[in-house]
Amino acid sequence: MASNSNESIYWNRENNSAHPSSSFNGPIIKEARIIALSDPNDSHNAPLYHGPLPESARLLKIGSHLDDFNESSIIEQQPNVIFVSHPSARDPLIQVLNKFPSVEWVHTRSAGVDFIASDAIFASHVQLTNAKGMFSSTLAEYCMMACSYFAKDLPRLMRQKEAIHWEQYPVRELRGSTLGIVGYGDIGRACAKLAKAYGMKVLGLKRDISSFRKEDDPHCDAMYGMDGLHELMSLSDYILISTPLTNQTRGLISREAISKCKSSAVIINVGRGPIIDEDALIEALQKGVIHGAALDVMTVEPLPKDSLLWQLDNVLLSPHNMDMTLTFMKESTDFFIRENLPRFVRGNQLLNPVNKAAGY
Amino acid sequence: MTATTAVAMSTSTARALQRLLGRDTSLQLSLTRRFYSPTSSLPKKAWDPHASEYKYWNREESKHGEASYVLAMSPESVQKEARILCLAAEDDDANSPLTNPSSKLPFGSRLLKIGTQPTDFPDSLASERPNVLFVSPSCPHARLQLPLIMHKFPTIEWIHVRSAGIDFLESDELPKITNKGIIMTNAKGQFSSSLAEYVMLACSYFAKNIPRLLQQKKAKVWNDFDIEELRGKTMGIVGYGDIGRATAKLASNYGMKVVALRRNPSKSELDPVCDEVFGTGKQNLQKLMSISDYVVCSAPSTVETRGMVNADAFKASKPNQVFINLGRGPVIDEDALVASLKSGALKGAALDVFATEPLPTDHELWDMDNVLISPHNMDKTATFMHEATEFFVNENLPRFILGDTLLNPVDATLGY
Repeated sequence: MASNSNESIYWNRENNSAHPSSSFNGPIIKEARIIALSDPNDSHNAPLYHGPLPESARLLKIGSHLDDFNESSIIEQQPNVIFVSHPSARDPLIQVLNKFPSVEWVHTRSAGVDFIASDAIFASHVQLTNAKGMFSSTLAEYCMMACSYFAKDLPRLMRQKEAIHWEQYPVRELRGSTLGIVGYGDIGRACAKLAKAYGMKVLGLKRDISSFRKEDDPHCDAMYGMDGLHELMSLSDYILISTPLTNQTRGLISREAISKCKSSAVIINVGRGPIIDEDALIEALQKGVIHGAALDVMTVEPLPKDSLLWQLDNVLLSPHNMDMTLTFMKESTDFFIRENLPRFVRGNQLLNPVNKAAGY
Repeated sequence: MTATTAVAMSTSTARALQRLLGRDTSLQLSLTRRFYSPTSSLPKKAWDPHASEYKYWNREESKHGEASYVLAMSPESVQKEARILCLAAEDDDANSPLTNPSSKLPFGSRLLKIGTQPTDFPDSLASERPNVLFVSPSCPHARLQLPLIMHKFPTIEWIHVRSAGIDFLESDELPKITNKGIIMTNAKGQFSSSLAEYVMLACSYFAKNIPRLLQQKKAKVWNDFDIEELRGKTMGIVGYGDIGRATAKLASNYGMKVVALRRNPSKSELDPVCDEVFGTGKQNLQKLMSISDYVVCSAPSTVETRGMVNADAFKASKPNQVFINLGRGPVIDEDALVASLKSGALKGAALDVFATEPLPTDHELWDMDNVLISPHNMDKTATFMHEATEFFVNENLPRFILGDTLLNPVDATLGY
């Protein structure tokens, strides 16, 4: 497989937009015959549904269940690529893979692959790629906003405004405070970059720190492995959770971990709800064990009406939309079409491979 | 003190320092450079090609405590004493680095008296020849008191203002005072990064639609809606001083395009965080308004800037614009702002300053959903005023005593 060894195998929207890809190496050696496990009415997929697609790529069918792909014409054409965006695709995906052993490659439109995670998919032979790096800078903007929301005590401003009450109060600076990033991936790094611009100290945590070299990353002051979680929690003023959801990270932010926090700490979650023990978090917020939380993701989405999170004053809630720009999903579909499809048909290395052993 | 005299005196001082410092070569080198040529050794900034001496303080970027250290290590380098009068309320705790009896003032300086009007300073004080006046906004009617104090104590050669804004001292008398050669300095650069943080919060407040998030939370409604990015948008900064630049630095890290308006555009031509800079004037202001998604007004309130952002300027606003004011209320025409918010010409506004403060309870702004109001506190960290006094005590006071250039000179005629 020809590939430019100097190029990263991961996509980053800011770096790659500045340096448009030019390295589709070599001649086209095969066709891409695509089936989409998606909602046919999903307008974000328009670039895929309506094209144009790159040379040598065809969309065979859009569907959400195995039955949607029963026509003999599809079976004859031997689809080799599956594009997945349907939220309930977990089981249908395995069924479709079993039906079409010709499939070589599965691409998810989102960064999170937890929605299709299963032992079967991680054990299968297919290449799995995702939308890593698509949403990082938008989420970094949200992360800084969440920090400032508490630092400048926006809830107090809102209360005072409603009461038509003018009262000066001291605000906190982000400058000089510490941001701890649990899950120092693409999103984590984008947040670190901004946090550094603010003059914050940045601590990071990665599953595998063997490849991290401080000299290469000016945005992170210290990097911890998984065993450093409690220390990171105890040193940070703001804690960002930006890991994927895997067996290792489920419940990672436990009651015990939360108890290590400063009472002034703020926890921000842009990963997945189940990474945090939500009941423990609620209790900590009620009792003042931590100062506040900003949550864009929750264990159950939509958040059930009876959840106490709705009522807590020291919680900023958003409906998993802090990366939802008008164009974000379309951009992700574009990435599939303009970056990975041309690589596939030329037999080049695909961008954003998912580590099946790690689950992300 | 002329530059030549300073160098001549400094040579012996420098030798004294070299003996003293011995092993600490890096400090020694920086100090000897400083003393052989005090002005040209001050760090130059790439975007300020016309500044032969860089004379402004920036809390983040400037070195702290250099002058204090020199004075403490080598008392014989004292060029003159500082005999200080403090024009401030006695109970103004923020002045404690200067006024608290247990505060240690630099060698060669003395605080003579604190007061808020001429009668607080006995006539006999004149015989002690006070030469430094420290002015704090906590002094009532400071604009009237200042000329009276200066008249009573003509030996004063330097006035330091604790705050960045000097509009509270504005009067016809003030330029007359400074035209006589009296130096005036202020707290420029003390508050810039806190205010820059506020600006980005204000932008995000509208981009991520915090008002909608709060409404939905109250109603327990889960409704995912599209949000906007700041990346790729344009921020227009009216009044590109230290605060403007700190804001630009953050905005450009967000991937925003930055355009600025200032009296001396040539000073910012090479500024890496500013993409385009205009001079002042109606046309330029309207141009900036027409291309900016977020406008930040960080201009001081002066004769020139009062009412500058008026109905004509708002008429030129880019659709969906967010307007942020953290300079001074009087720089914008508040009525025109309210009208633009009501008409939808502006998407929203974030205001930390107002024409009248506290904002009167019957003012329309309180009721408007698309306005973020803060009580002129977005730079008020728990320690900021103390830090401003510390700047006087630790940075400018030692420089005065050493005969070095004072930081943050103010032009009283210009008003900032």
